[in-house]
Amino acid sequence: MSERGAFSVTRIPGFGLIAITTFVLLYLPIVILVIFSFNEGLSQSVWEGFSLRWYEAAFANRQVRDVSIRSLWLAGVAAGLATVLATLAVLGTTRVGRFRGQTMIYALINQPLMVPEIVTGIALLIFVASIKVQTGYTGMGYLVAAHTAFCIPFAYLPIRARLETLDPALEMAAADLYASPVQAFRHITLPLMVPGILAGFMLGFVISLDTVVITEFVKSAGQDTLPTYMLGQLRRTITPEMNAIATLFLLLSLVIVTAFFLITRTRGR
Amino acid sequence: MAVVNGARVAAEIEIAALGKVFGQGEAAFHALKNINLKIATGEFFTLLGPSGCGKTTLLRVIAGFEQPSTGALAINGRQVAGQGPNKRPVNTVFQSYALFPHMTVAQNIGFGLKMLGKPRSEIDATVAEMLRLVRMEALAERRPSEISGGQQQRVALARALAPRPRVLLLDEPLSALDLKLRKEMQGELKRLQTETGITFVFVTHDQEEALTMSDRIAVMSAGRILQLGSPDEIYNAPVDRFVADFIGETNFLTLPVAGVSGDQAHLDLPGGTSAPARLPAGLAAAPGSSVTAVIRPEQAEIAPAEGADLTAEVESATFFGTDTHLHLRLSDGQPFILRRQNRPGQPPIAPGTRLGLVLAPGALQVLRD
Repeated sequence: MSERGAFSVTRIPGFGLIAITTFVLLYLPIVILVIFSFNEGLSQSVWEGFSLRWYEAAFANRQVRDVSIRSLWLAGVAAGLATVLATLAVLGTTRVGRFRGQTMIYALINQPLMVPEIVTGIALLIFVASIKVQTGYTGMGYLVAAHTAFCIPFAYLPIRARLETLDPALEMAAADLYASPVQAFRHITLPLMVPGILAGFMLGFVISLDTVVITEFVKSAGQDTLPTYMLGQLRRTITPEMNAIATLFLLLSLVIVTAFFLITRTRGR
Repeated sequence: MAVVNGARVAAEIEIAALGKVFGQGEAAFHALKNINLKIATGEFFTLLGPSGCGKTTLLRVIAGFEQPSTGALAINGRQVAGQGPNKRPVNTVFQSYALFPHMTVAQNIGFGLKMLGKPRSEIDATVAEMLRLVRMEALAERRPSEISGGQQQRVALARALAPRPRVLLLDEPLSALDLKLRKEMQGELKRLQTETGITFVFVTHDQEEALTMSDRIAVMSAGRILQLGSPDEIYNAPVDRFVADFIGETNFLTLPVAGVSGDQAHLDLPGGTSAPARLPAGLAAAPGSSVTAVIRPEQAEIAPAEGADLTAEVESATFFGTDTHLHLRLSDGQPFILRRQNRPGQPPIAPGTRLGLVLAPGALQVLRD
């Protein structure tokens, strides 16, 4: 009798090799970057002994500290605003009946996922430049607005996923038990959406922290974020100090992404 | 006033000419058609029917989750059509229980009272009383995810009973439970209804559940109420082919009418005798015409062929433990199922045996169709 199992990708010849190659390509460059952040010497290719001197240098670097704080501040504000807007958008698009153009609205909300970032960047550059000329305002408002808009779909998707798993009978039960629509939202819907909202905020935060292109085109003088600062430094000489900063940045992202996973995993509770 | 099994009692729910249409024009779906119904205070009333018959829609209309398209709906003498569910003195036990997952058992039970703005002390006292009523005192601080399905069911009941509604609506609340637990909860529901005196409107597709628990049953199909009556009436005097077929097992016999007197018809039986049969109200059966009559399988007995109402040949026999079902072919070719109580030492009846049958007096019921 011939074996009649379901199709399994693991039986394709070379599956193991392809999988290992993929993981090596994904992680080896990062591993090397991290290793050389601990290098005693200046070299990016010759190991000269373990040292934390580049971390000390990074922490002592006033500029690094300034751009890091700006990055965290911007990510916090933008992700916070984006989460509020995304939550409202989710409530407006899923807790109402099907309506004409619903799919279109989904697509429009998710614009940053579809439009190439460089296109958005150039468009923002031109748009912001004309406003700057008109108003003379050159503050952080442009970056906040641009990052907020860019973060909305990343906040929107996990919040919507969470709301869609909520049994509509819960809201009906609340109404049945004499809750007004506002009370039902405040006591039932909103608390149950919190894991999705937190996940949305964290995803938005990481996205804002990571983005280079949008910031590069929108920022005014002295508004470098950590990624644009690093990019700027790389145009000069590369010292292992950059490795150290990159490693710390990586660590921060990992912490947030891990928190995101933990929050979304316990969503059923 | 509502008339329940012959007695006149106060009506808790009055539904008049109620209809519900979903969609418009070509796509319109008539979920409920001309429903007229009075449910008495303190009654255990069951809406019974297959899925899609409109029973859950009717329940949702009473609860206020759906508004009627036409007709009137009064609860406790007050018109409620147009009001939302939070304005009606009615609580629901949902099929999925719909317990709030982020609240404890006690918080779930107290939710309705909290929304009604009751003082803390009253809420605590009522929650404690409800926990005692459904025997869940020990699990008050658990989350719904930490208790079993049967326990969730009890919490859902307690939560719906806590605000002391005029009417409790139950949407197939036992369908998710296994057989043993379901039997247990059936008794529990009856006990709760008797103890609280609250009107229960119970939706189910399980005819046995409906027969054992209800004071009255409305059998529904395709958005209409086909028959309304006590479990005994629904079982022994079905007036509609659907009702007769849906509830239990039954024999359909096409028989000629010998004569009519009042609400009784005399039907000619294949054995040469004639038997009285109840006529549904408003049906005029002309002598000489044929009608469909039903008789339950347990309402005929084996007798000597000489002078029997029916003679038949045994085609097969199925053993069911307490009884055996004999599949018979009557002398005029119609099939007939006979339920025979099993007794120790009783000789089995082999296929091919010829039998006589006598019908229990008053067992025949003429259908409306």
